[in-house]
Amino acid sequence: MIWLTWRQFRTQAVIGVAVTVAVGVLFVATRGSLLQLARDMGYQGCTTGCDELADQFLRRISGTNYGRLQQNGSILMFVLPALIGLFWGAPLVARELEAGTHRLVWNQTVSRDRWLAVKLGLIGLLAVAIAGLLSWAITAWASPIDRAGNWLMPATFSVRGVVPIGYAAFAFVAGVTVGMLMRRTVPAMAVTLVVVASAMALSILFLRPNLAAHSTYQGQLTTDKVGGISLSPSDPARRIRVEAEAPVRHAWVLSNDVTTSTGAPWAGPYDPAKCGPNAPGERLGCAQWIASQNLQQKVIYLGPEKFWPLQWRELGVFLTISALLATFCFWWIRRRVA
Amino acid sequence: MSSAVVTEGLTKRYGRRTALSDCTLDVPAGHVVGLVGPNGAGKSTLLQMICGLLQPTAGRLTVLGGEPISGSPRLGFVAQDTPVYAGLTVEDHLRLGAHLNPSWDDQLAHDRTERLDLDPGQKAGKLSGGQRAQLALTLAVAKRPDLLLLDEPVAALDPLARREFLQGLMEYVAESGTSVVMSSHLVADLERVCDYLIVLVKSRVRVTGEVEELLASHHRITGGRIDPAALGPGREVIVARHTDVQSTLVVRSTAPIEDPAFTVDGIDLEDLVLAYMTEAGPSGRDRVLEKQR
Repeated sequence: MIWLTWRQFRTQAVIGVAVTVAVGVLFVATRGSLLQLARDMGYQGCTTGCDELADQFLRRISGTNYGRLQQNGSILMFVLPALIGLFWGAPLVARELEAGTHRLVWNQTVSRDRWLAVKLGLIGLLAVAIAGLLSWAITAWASPIDRAGNWLMPATFSVRGVVPIGYAAFAFVAGVTVGMLMRRTVPAMAVTLVVVASAMALSILFLRPNLAAHSTYQGQLTTDKVGGISLSPSDPARRIRVEAEAPVRHAWVLSNDVTTSTGAPWAGPYDPAKCGPNAPGERLGCAQWIASQNLQQKVIYLGPEKFWPLQWRELGVFLTISALLATFCFWWIRRRVA
Repeated sequence: MSSAVVTEGLTKRYGRRTALSDCTLDVPAGHVVGLVGPNGAGKSTLLQMICGLLQPTAGRLTVLGGEPISGSPRLGFVAQDTPVYAGLTVEDHLRLGAHLNPSWDDQLAHDRTERLDLDPGQKAGKLSGGQRAQLALTLAVAKRPDLLLLDEPVAALDPLARREFLQGLMEYVAESGTSVVMSSHLVADLERVCDYLIVLVKSRVRVTGEVEELLASHHRITGGRIDPAALGPGREVIVARHTDVQSTLVVRSTAPIEDPAFTVDGIDLEDLVLAYMTEAGPSGRDRVLEKQR
């Protein structure tokens, strides 16, 4: 059975391993020079003024080959689960059913359970190994950038650490399940794509924010805590929306409210002499004016120390779903597929 | 006579559609059994339940004295349209068989492919229909099964490939003595190889028995208008066709019919089977004709 799995899967396996090795080597090879750049700019190993140095480092990186590597690495890690689900998962059973070859192979002296177990086990293991190795290489490579930036934001978090392993396992098993239910390769690939993309989106929107206890900060809104300001100069009501910043750097802000001292939501009206396109003080003047309004801020956020707990918990959730889907596959193949 | 397969009230439903309903039959061991019936009679469903690919909805099924199990070493199965892996070579298929079957007879497998002139390096997807069927049969017989099931193996083959396939099958059966059940909607295919016949129409067994015995006990009677009731006891009229002046009857009778008023002829297997299918009603007959390829 192991021989047959290898024989049927060797082309895909070779492609997968070759891409992994090529990408892995690229990131490992450029890691040294990226670290050197961080050291040269005084950011790596800094003791004072680190925040300012970090911002300088990020500005320096953007637009260079390092920036492009970082972006393309993220894109690769985002599409990797979908690729695994589409090309490794969905055809695994669907193609056999489509060609009728399940009637050939299940009439050799091999039970369906064993057939599925070997296929799911070996190919699933390879999918997880590839995702793990790529994520390890990219996470290690990007560590100076991530420390300077914000590694808790979804765009970064989802493509670092161990969660890509969970996505890969889920995408593979989901592809197999969809293929087994739909019995047609191409439609199964389309549905798998939708399933994997929605699972990742739902995880970011609803699952991840609830996997760790939130931190809440409440206090006077001071000038340095005023983050984003948005207003429309043509709005007669002169509404203004202020986003308060979390008290710690690199936090993932889940919600922020700016209220008056009585607790009512505050949305202006703003003073056109202080804020807006005609105000002389520009952004700082506006922020100072807002701070002088005696406002309170309430920020709910996840701090950077939550990175690894969140990573492991999200991995756990995806591995659990994968295991449940795999169990379903065994049940279904025994009873309903022929 | 021991039985290879015994079914009792065997039923298979897919949702609301019934593929096989209340089928009771006994397939003897040590024979080459032809399972014949129009398409839609439930032949494929029955064979797939015997080899454990499908689960019966109701009824009892005993295969080689036990429960049917998918992946049993004692069963060989050549599925309809003889599926093989298009991307794998002939040699790959033989290695697949060797890896997956403890009872694999590598000598037999290689002898067969050599005799059939199958190029070991050829991708199975590039084989002709006849070669593909031969490869599928090789896989099924090289695991040395006690019971070999073939589901319309020659339906898609041209006459020459048909003959070669059946010849190969016969050679194997003669050498191994394996019990065989082979389904077809064409009697001509079965006539050459089967020594036992089961006619299945709409899940019902219409007639079953050894081919020689069936041929000996069935007669075609022609003559002036015959009243079927006048034939006497022990004579079962299977089908009767009347014109104004003449009647043609197919009659089952163990005793010879000697009556100067009629002409009594023997009957060949194809006419015999058609008679039983016609008996099943006009729809049964239409289906035979329309599906003949």
